[in-house]
This record gives sequence, C-alpha cells and structure tokens, in this order.
Amino acid sequence: MDTFILIGITGIGLGALYFLIASGLSLIYGLMGVLNFAHGSFLTVGAFVGYWIASKMGFDITLPKFIFAMIVGGLAAGLFALLIEQLLITRLYERHIDQALVTVGVSLVVGAVLGGWFGNDLRMFPTPVWFSTAITIGGARIPADRAVYIATAVLLLVGNWALLKYTRIGLIIRAGVENRNMVNALGINVQRAFSTVFFLGGFAAGVGGVLVSVYSNGVSPLIAGTYLIYGFIVVVIGGMGSVPGSFLAAMMIGVIRQFANYYATGLGDFVVVILLAVVLLIRPQGLLGKVRA
Amino acid sequence: MLRWKYSRPLLGLLIALLALAPMLGGNPLSRPGLQQTMAVAFLWGGLALTYDLLFGFTGLLSFGHSLYFATGVYVTCILINHHVVSWWLAGLISIAVSAFLALLVGAASLRTSGITFAMVTLAFGEAGHVILERNFFNLTGGENGIALNADRIPSFWISVANTKFIYWSALAALILTYAIIWWVTESSAGRVFAALRDNELRVQVLGLNTQRFKLLAFVISAALAALLGDVMLLAAGSAAPRFADAGVTISLLLMVVLGGAVTRWGAVIGGIFYSIATTRMQDLTQQEAFKTIPKWIGGPISEPAFVLGLLFIFVVMFAPGGLSGAYYRLRLRAITKKSR
Repeated sequence: MDTFILIGITGIGLGALYFLIASGLSLIYGLMGVLNFAHGSFLTVGAFVGYWIASKMGFDITLPKFIFAMIVGGLAAGLFALLIEQLLITRLYERHIDQALVTVGVSLVVGAVLGGWFGNDLRMFPTPVWFSTAITIGGARIPADRAVYIATAVLLLVGNWALLKYTRIGLIIRAGVENRNMVNALGINVQRAFSTVFFLGGFAAGVGGVLVSVYSNGVSPLIAGTYLIYGFIVVVIGGMGSVPGSFLAAMMIGVIRQFANYYATGLGDFVVVILLAVVLLIRPQGLLGKVRA
Repeated sequence: MLRWKYSRPLLGLLIALLALAPMLGGNPLSRPGLQQTMAVAFLWGGLALTYDLLFGFTGLLSFGHSLYFATGVYVTCILINHHVVSWWLAGLISIAVSAFLALLVGAASLRTSGITFAMVTLAFGEAGHVILERNFFNLTGGENGIALNADRIPSFWISVANTKFIYWSALAALILTYAIIWWVTESSAGRVFAALRDNELRVQVLGLNTQRFKLLAFVISAALAALLGDVMLLAAGSAAPRFADAGVTISLLLMVVLGGAVTRWGAVIGGIFYSIATTRMQDLTQQEAFKTIPKWIGGPISEPAFVLGLLFIFVVMFAPGGLSGAYYRLRLRAITKKSR
C-alpha cells in the first residue's frame, strides 16, 4: 500500500511538472495556432536564471529564498518569451508553419548559447535541506519536494483560472481561443492578449524549469528535452487550448508513467505513446478539447 | 522555363566526376578521410530529400522522420549480427519493416493534421528513440548502440583503404533516392501530393481519398529513409540511438528549409552543406586563432547549432524558399528582363 501511495504521489508530482510546461503550450497554441518549439528554451532560461539567483544566495538556502529564485526565474523566462514573440512571432502573422520553424531555430540557438557558456554538464541546484526530508502519508514516506511541485502546479492552475475567468484580458484570451477573428472584428486588440499569453506561458515554463532542475538534481541546457515532448503529448491528450484539460492529462500521464515504470523500467514512455494513439483514434480533439469549425 | 538549359548535362558531368574522383589519384577525394565525410554528406542529402517529399511536396510537417531512418539502421544491424539472413536480404527486410511501421504510425497520426500532426509524429518518434535506448530483449544495445559484425558483410566494405566503396554506395543510394523521388513527384500521385499541400479541401471535393494519398507519401519517404539508413550503417559501422533522436528530424527540417523546399536539388544541396558544415565547423574551432576570441562569444560559435540556427531563422524570416528559391527568383528576374 505504501509503495502504491509513493508511486502515485511521485506520479502526480511529475504530472505537475508536465502541467507547468503544457499550460503555456496549450494556451499559445489555442490562441494563436503557434506550435512553440521554443518553449523548451523558456524552461531552460528560467532554470538558469533561477540557478544563478539561488547560487548567489549560498547553498544553505531557505524556502522563501528558493521561492524568490523560482519567481525570478519565471519572470526572466516570461520576459524572454515576450521578446521572442515581439521580435519573431508577430512578424510571421498567420504563417503557422513558419512560426513553428522559427521557434525551432530559437531553441537551437538558445541551446547552443547556453551550452557554449556553461557546458552541458549538470550543475547542482541549491535547494533547502527541507526538500530532501520525507513526509509520511498513509504509511508511505514521500520526498518533500513532490509537495512543492504539486503545490506550485495547483497555485498556477488556480491563478490561471482566476485570470481567465475574472479579468478583462482573460476574457479576451478565452474569446480569442474560441474565435479570434470575431474578437478582432469587434475592435478588440488581440495582439495584447497574444503578448500576455506568451508572457504567462514563459513564466509557467520558467518556474517549471527551476522545479525540473530540482527534480533532475541539477541544471543543464539539455534538461528541457523530454519535458517539452511530454508537454506536447499532454497538450494533444488534454485538448488544444484547454488549461483544465492540460491539468487532467498531465496528472494522468504522470501517474500512469510512474506506475508502468515501476513494473518494468522504460515501459512508461511506451504506455504513454499507446495512450496517445488511443486518444487520437477515439477522440482526436483531446479529452477536453472542442472540435474546431 | 526556369531551368537553365545546361543544367542536366552539367549535373551528369558532376556525378561522373564525383564517381570517378576516388579512382584518379591526386585530388582530395582520393583520401579516405574526405571520402568518409562526403559519403555521410550524400546520405544526409538523400535523407533531406525524403523529408522534402513529406514537408515540401505534400505539406506534412512530420517531426518523427528519424524513426524510419533508425529502423533501417537497427533492423539491418540486428538481422546481420544475429545471423538471421544474409546482408542484402537484411537491407531489404529493414526497408519493408520501416514501410510497415510508417503505415501503422501514419494511419494513426494522419487522423490529425497541421500542427497537431507535427506533435503526434514527434511523440511517436521519441517513443522509438526511448525504446532503442532501453535495450529491450537485449537487442538494441541500449545507449551505446550495437557495432556491426564486420564478418557478415562483404569484405570490400571493410577497412579504411576501402572507404571508396562506402563512398560509392552512398552516392548510388543518393542517386537512387533522387530518381525515385523525381519519378514519384512527377507522377500523377505526385500531383495529388502537391494539391494536398495547396488545398486539401479541393482534393476532397474532387472525390479523392486524401488520407490514402498522404499515407502513400508517408510510407514512400519512410522506405527511402530506411534504404539510406542501411548505407549509413556501413558508413558509421554501428547502430546508435542518436540516429533516432528528434534532433535528426530537426536537422532534416533545417536542411530542407536552408536548401529550399519543393525543388529536390535544394534539399540535396542543403543536406550536403549542413553535414559538411557541422563536421568542418568543429575542426575550425580547434585552431589557434579561434582561441583568442573571448569565451562568451567563442563558446556559442563553437556549437554548429548556433550559426546554423541563426541562419535558419534568417532564411525563414527574410528569404523563404532558401537557396534554390533565391536561385529561381534571380532566374525569373533575368528571363523577364530579357523578354522585355
């Protein structure tokens, strides 16, 4: 029973990391139709800035200091995302394939710059001692860092939901996902919504980057690789443009992957792809996605 | 006509020169080092062309193309090493396996289109990569890959002195790929591919089964990628998970975009250029003069992805059509000026 709980909660923790990446991808795609390959580099930029701040504060870091580093990492990634959007994406208005290609180029360049500066070896990310202690839930001893991932993901989900539901810009974003031309025709500046979504997506990815580097015991330009791919899978399964769908799919995939990996190492990735194929065959628009007209 | 009237005779001459160069002494191509580099470059040129069939000609942005290339490499290597069949049959079987795999994956992922298709093919390709890295049933050798058992293939492909045979094999594979893709894209099915890219709805209205044509393009390009993978196995001497990496497909995309899609020769030139550039750039950064550049700028430059990535962004933003596109634009301008 306690292994069951341990695997389950670790799976949810992993799902939380996937969600941080997928939420931005899903909104960016839903609103603008941009397949953002640069999302992985937002994650890496966030991780490196967070690492820089955290390591300036020494290795005996406390939780508030860690959270500060995480938020700065997120902000840096958000600003970087905004820069990419303003410099490159807006100039390729409505050319979706070219937009995807440009983001591929960005991810290559960012990877090369960070690799050239810092090398591709893992660097220890300073974490509070508290992270490596264990919490006991139902007889299972669970590493405390899992709780941080889950709490962050839930906070971001709630924040995202509140922003989309209760603010004017959120309303524009939701309407834009539904039908962008209509919003445009009503004389509302969708461009600002685009920038907001890019910033928010970058922020979530940057925060995710800091947490991913805690999870994988260090930061390197290569950490984003598999997470970006899992982010794509989560977005497809959850439904494009649906943040709750991403949350649901991320949790599902995290848990399923952990359980499959427990019974046979490496089986997890395989099961996830089978799941993807099944979802595509039965529900091509994803779990909570709407059929596009 | 945009084609230059001497282009075909000159191409024939170039191929003859490339084929004969290793036999005539006294030129760079008589050295095994350059033969090896060029053999790999030819294979990348061919692979870029198979990707062009998907992306350029049919408009399918697949991010899982490396899967079929790696299937060619791995299936052949496993069949040869385990003494299952002789080397030529192993090559043929690997092509069939790759085509069959493409049929399955294509049938599932072609239910989506556009950007979703890109994500889904990426997921399938990455799953293949993971499976190869995990060493299931002790067949794929995990992260280190498997070395090709040299006793089981004809001796003329072994040893450095015989690199020229690998060079010729790669050149032959490139020419064969080019010929097949030329034939496919100029056939009536090729017209449908182009129509699918330009206006899928219209093709549907004409009463054609669009899924079946897309699947056909997907399977053809997978089979040809496996063929090139067979030769890559000879050139590399081993099967490694790096052949299945999503980075391979992204490189192919770069090659096609830099060289220019839909012109066939553009993709080939792009592939050859990219392959040589990545190998030569590393040599360049080893030089003394390079060490004087400060590290914050020298570090990124020493990574080929930096320069190629910037070039790629530039081409996508400002020079769509790449190298061959620019050539045809110049040609068009020259012709219109003459007729005026």
